Amino acid sequence: MAVKAVMHIMERDIRYFFRFKWWVAGMVSMNLADLFIMAVVYTRMVNPNLVVNYFVFFAPGLTITALFAAAFMIGREVNMEIRRDIIHYMLSLPIKRWELAFGRVLAGSVRGLIYMSPLLLTTLAITYLYTSVFPSPLELFTIIFTLFLVAIGTSGLSISLALSTTSFEKYITMRGVVYYVLFFCSTVFYPMTLIQSSLPTPLVLIARYNPLSCGADLSRAFLLGTPPFSFWMLLDLGIFALFFALVAAFAYRRAMQK
Amino acid sequence: MAPIIRTVNLTKKFGSLVAVDHLNLEIEEGEIFGFLGPNGAGKTTTLLMLITVIKPTEGTAYVGPYDVTREPDKARTLIGMAFQEPKLLWVSTPWDVLDWHAKVCGLSSEERRKRVRWALEELGLWNERHKSIHGFSGGMRKRVEIAKILIQRPKIAIVDEPTAQIDIVGKHRIWNMIRALRDEGSTIILATNELYEADVLSDRVAIIHKGKLLVCDAPKKLKDSILGGDVIEVVLEKEVPSKIVEELKAINRIVDVLAVKPNCLKIYLNQAEEVLPRITEFFMKVHMPVKSIQMSEPSLDDVFVHYTGLTIEEAQKR
Ligand SMILES: Nc1ncnc2c1ncn2[C@@H]1O[C@H](COP(=O)(O)OP(=O)(O)OP(=O)(O)O)[C@@H](O)[C@H]1O
Ligand SMILES: [Mg+2]
Repeated sequence: MAVKAVMHIMERDIRYFFRFKWWVAGMVSMNLADLFIMAVVYTRMVNPNLVVNYFVFFAPGLTITALFAAAFMIGREVNMEIRRDIIHYMLSLPIKRWELAFGRVLAGSVRGLIYMSPLLLTTLAITYLYTSVFPSPLELFTIIFTLFLVAIGTSGLSISLALSTTSFEKYITMRGVVYYVLFFCSTVFYPMTLIQSSLPTPLVLIARYNPLSCGADLSRAFLLGTPPFSFWMLLDLGIFALFFALVAAFAYRRAMQK
Repeated sequence: MAPIIRTVNLTKKFGSLVAVDHLNLEIEEGEIFGFLGPNGAGKTTTLLMLITVIKPTEGTAYVGPYDVTREPDKARTLIGMAFQEPKLLWVSTPWDVLDWHAKVCGLSSEERRKRVRWALEELGLWNERHKSIHGFSGGMRKRVEIAKILIQRPKIAIVDEPTAQIDIVGKHRIWNMIRALRDEGSTIILATNELYEADVLSDRVAIIHKGKLLVCDAPKKLKDSILGGDVIEVVLEKEVPSKIVEELKAINRIVDVLAVKPNCLKIYLNQAEEVLPRITEFFMKVHMPVKSIQMSEPSLDDVFVHYTGLTIEEAQKR
């Protein structure tokens, strides 16, 4: 029953996502265009001592940012439901609050993965073209699992933020801050060596433990061989995912009190 | 038999506003329980506490054996609600909304198809079933909302102003569907601010005002408990002498008689249907031919005025 309830909640959110399939397709195309523009423009500008080939370096990073943005979208809907009191309907359903919360967290992350898949495929193709490396099935599985953890944590984070306020402006502001910090202090766009040499220590720490860094670097570990695979990055992501899934569940329990 | 719903000093405060104030109610299994009150009386707030969407500030309620503050998940397995304001995603279609709702409520796919189809047809939405709710009128949205509960058939069904915004044909159809739902074994809680609706549907009615329970009884008894609760307007062929008016006043259960025009009387009385034959008899006896006779029901205003000493307009100003 619990599994069914979670699946039903997921179904609703995933259907909702596909109602906007053309918009999604447009966004994905724009991301792909970004990737190729970056490739043309930056590959020649970036110091090869820092990044040998910026194109193959950047592709996994862009994939992660797309995943993050897409998985974060669920928060906007959850916040909209609060403002229109649709949350009353969700809370009145004959299912448990944690089923509702986990259903939505999972839906948000699955939507992120769906959105990201064309970018991931492109990344794999580009890497193969430039380096002739294609990950083994186990490596590929680990990459996808890693991305799934990033998606779960992101979706949980966005839902937790969305449930913490009834104001859309506040939600958008919080989202902006999260985006800014996580994108800026991360290895998505530039490697750790550059961050260490140019950012103050607190920001370096954020960049190191930032799930986006871990996600991007884990993909790079299998695709490019640098930075090397390390188990703590996987652990970092596991904690990120578990923590925000639980916070979201807690937030849904608390939603009753308002 | 133990009541299926029991509220114990149920209270909800929003800041300094006491929306529901130490409410004690008992609802019996299988009845249609009308919940009457003017705008802002606290009806919806009470219902939202019963369905565990908002948490009481004080006191509690029992849904079946479950305390809503301690076991909300279990309470919700017994209860369902059609909301006052339709809670629908505008991009969805009636079919998707209802099919999904039925799924979450645990209906098998065959049963689901059957009931969703039935509800859409009965509520006149079959042709619109795959259209986006975005383009729907208020009444159509309200129909989709009410369909949820008719499909779900929970043990306890809450309907919050089920026919607001709905045309008269639709109102009667929905009332019949609510009655049928009760006949199949559901207990119904009907919040409304229309006395007529509460009257035709409810077995018992509770009137609340400013979050407080004023009175709770069968609608008939409620209306009869107000002096001059019924009104009969009589138009006669000729002018009515004041002697006749006095004689009329002496008839049992007639509270007051007012000469609106020389040949038109307004008679305030209780239990009009019993007294009416005696009134017509009386006019025949005194040789006063009756042109027309009209009976009107007391309104929520009358009952409300009786129990609060205020008209609804006055109550809302305070
Ligand atoms: N979330 C809220 N925050 C603050 N005040 C609220 C909230 N919900 C309801 N109220 C207030 O509580 C009071 C009772 O509201 P409620 O919606 O329960 O009334 P109602 O009897 O259902 O009225 P109506 O017939 O208009 O639907 C009102 O004064 C309303 O303004
Ligand atoms: Mg209301």
